[in-house]
Amino acid sequence: MVTKSDTEPVQIEIFPRRFLNPDTAQRLLDEIYRSEGVLRIMIQGPNLPREVPYGPAKGTPIEEHKNLLLTLGDQALELKVKVGRIGLELESEEHIEGVRAACERTLPFSFSIKKRKLFHNKLTVSDYAKYGSKVEDERILGLVDPKAKKEKNLAMLSDSRGDS
Amino acid sequence: MAYKPQFYPGTTSVGVNRRKHMSGDLEKLRDISDADVVTIMGHRAPGADYPSTHPPLAEMGEPDCPIRQLVEPTPGAAAGDRIRYSQFADSMYNAPAIPYWRSYWGAINCRGADPGTLSGRQIIEARERDIEQYTKVQMDSEMTDVALCSMRGCTVHGHSLRLQEDGMMFDMLARTEMGADGNVYYVKDQVGIPLDRKVNVGKGMSEAEVAKRTTIFRHDNIPFGGAQGARKFDEGLIALHHMWERRSKWGYRPE
Repeated sequence: MVTKSDTEPVQIEIFPRRFLNPDTAQRLLDEIYRSEGVLRIMIQGPNLPREVPYGPAKGTPIEEHKNLLLTLGDQALELKVKVGRIGLELESEEHIEGVRAACERTLPFSFSIKKRKLFHNKLTVSDYAKYGSKVEDERILGLVDPKAKKEKNLAMLSDSRGDS
Repeated sequence: MAYKPQFYPGTTSVGVNRRKHMSGDLEKLRDISDADVVTIMGHRAPGADYPSTHPPLAEMGEPDCPIRQLVEPTPGAAAGDRIRYSQFADSMYNAPAIPYWRSYWGAINCRGADPGTLSGRQIIEARERDIEQYTKVQMDSEMTDVALCSMRGCTVHGHSLRLQEDGMMFDMLARTEMGADGNVYYVKDQVGIPLDRKVNVGKGMSEAEVAKRTTIFRHDNIPFGGAQGARKFDEGLIALHHMWERRSKWGYRPE
C-alpha cells in the first residue's frame, strides 16, 4: 500500500452531495485505488446497525444491512456505515486531480474535494490507552475510532495496486 | 364581523404553506387505506378490536361537571381507547412539514391530541382511534412527501443528514425502500418490526414540487427575509423581530 516518496503527503476529503449506495461506494473506491499515489483511505458515515438498537423492536435483525462488503485490492472489509465522506492521504498534491477525475467518472451527483488535516500524527491519550507508548505502524493513527477493533475495521492493502 | 385567524404573516410561498398547515386547509394528494396506516403505526393489527383502558364514558356515569357537559368527548375518549402515538421525521431538504408545523397543525386542528416537538421529529399522542385518523390526514395530505418524511417511532435520525442516492431520507433501520416502480414502500412498522407485506405509499415529489410545498426557509430556496435583494424584508421576518423585541424588553407584558 505504501510507496516511499520524497514529496510531502497531502490529505483530502471527498464530500458527495448524497450518501453513497454500497455499489457506488465500491466503484468509487476501485477507481480511487487504481489512480496513483494513495497512501491511506478512510470511509465515514452514519452507522448501519445489524439489529434494531432501541425501542420495542430492540434486537430485531436488520437484513438490509447484512453482508455488505467492500473489496479493495486483496482485502475485503465489512461495510458498517452509509458512506458519506471519504478521507484520503495522497503521496503529493499532484495526485488530487486523478482522484477528482475518478469521482467525476463514478458519482452521478455533485461532490466537493477539500484539502484538510484528517489524520493526526502524534499519539493521543486514547491512542496511548489503546496501543501503548509505541505504535507498531504509525499509519493507523487517526484512521479508526479509538473504540473500534483494528482487526474488523482496518485493512492493510498490498502494493499490488491495479492487479485486482 | 366574525374573527378570522391569520395564523402566520408573510407573502412568501413558505408563509402561505405555513398558513395552510396551521389552518388545516390542506390539499389531499394520495389515499392510503386505513388498514395500511394502522399497519405502519404498528399498535394493533388492522381489523382488530380497540383495546380499552376504561369503560365507555356513557357507561361510567360521569360526575356532574359543567366542563364535561360543555366539551364533547372525541370518539376515542368516548370509547375508552388507549393513548397511542405516531411520530414523523422530516428531512431538512425541503420536506413539506417540519416538527413545529406538524405540532401547530395538531394543536389547532386535532381535538384531544398532545403534540410534542423535537429538533428533528414530531410526535402526536391521542386516543387510539383518534390518532389513527390524525395520522391518516398527515400521510394523505401535502404535509407529507413519502420520500422526505417517514413515520419513525424510534431511531429517528435522518432529518439533518444528506439524502440517499435515490432521493430518500436516510433511515438507519431501513423502514422504507424505493421500489423499482418508483413507489416508496414501508417494509417495517414505525419502530422497525418487519411487516408481513410491503405497504405502497406512492411516489415521492420532484425537487421542484417539494421546493414549492415546503414550510422550511432555506437560503437555497426561499430565505426567511423574503426575496433576496428586495428593499424590504418579508412581513414574516418583521413580525418575528417585533415579537422578539417585545419579549426581550417586556416579556410580552408592556405595563
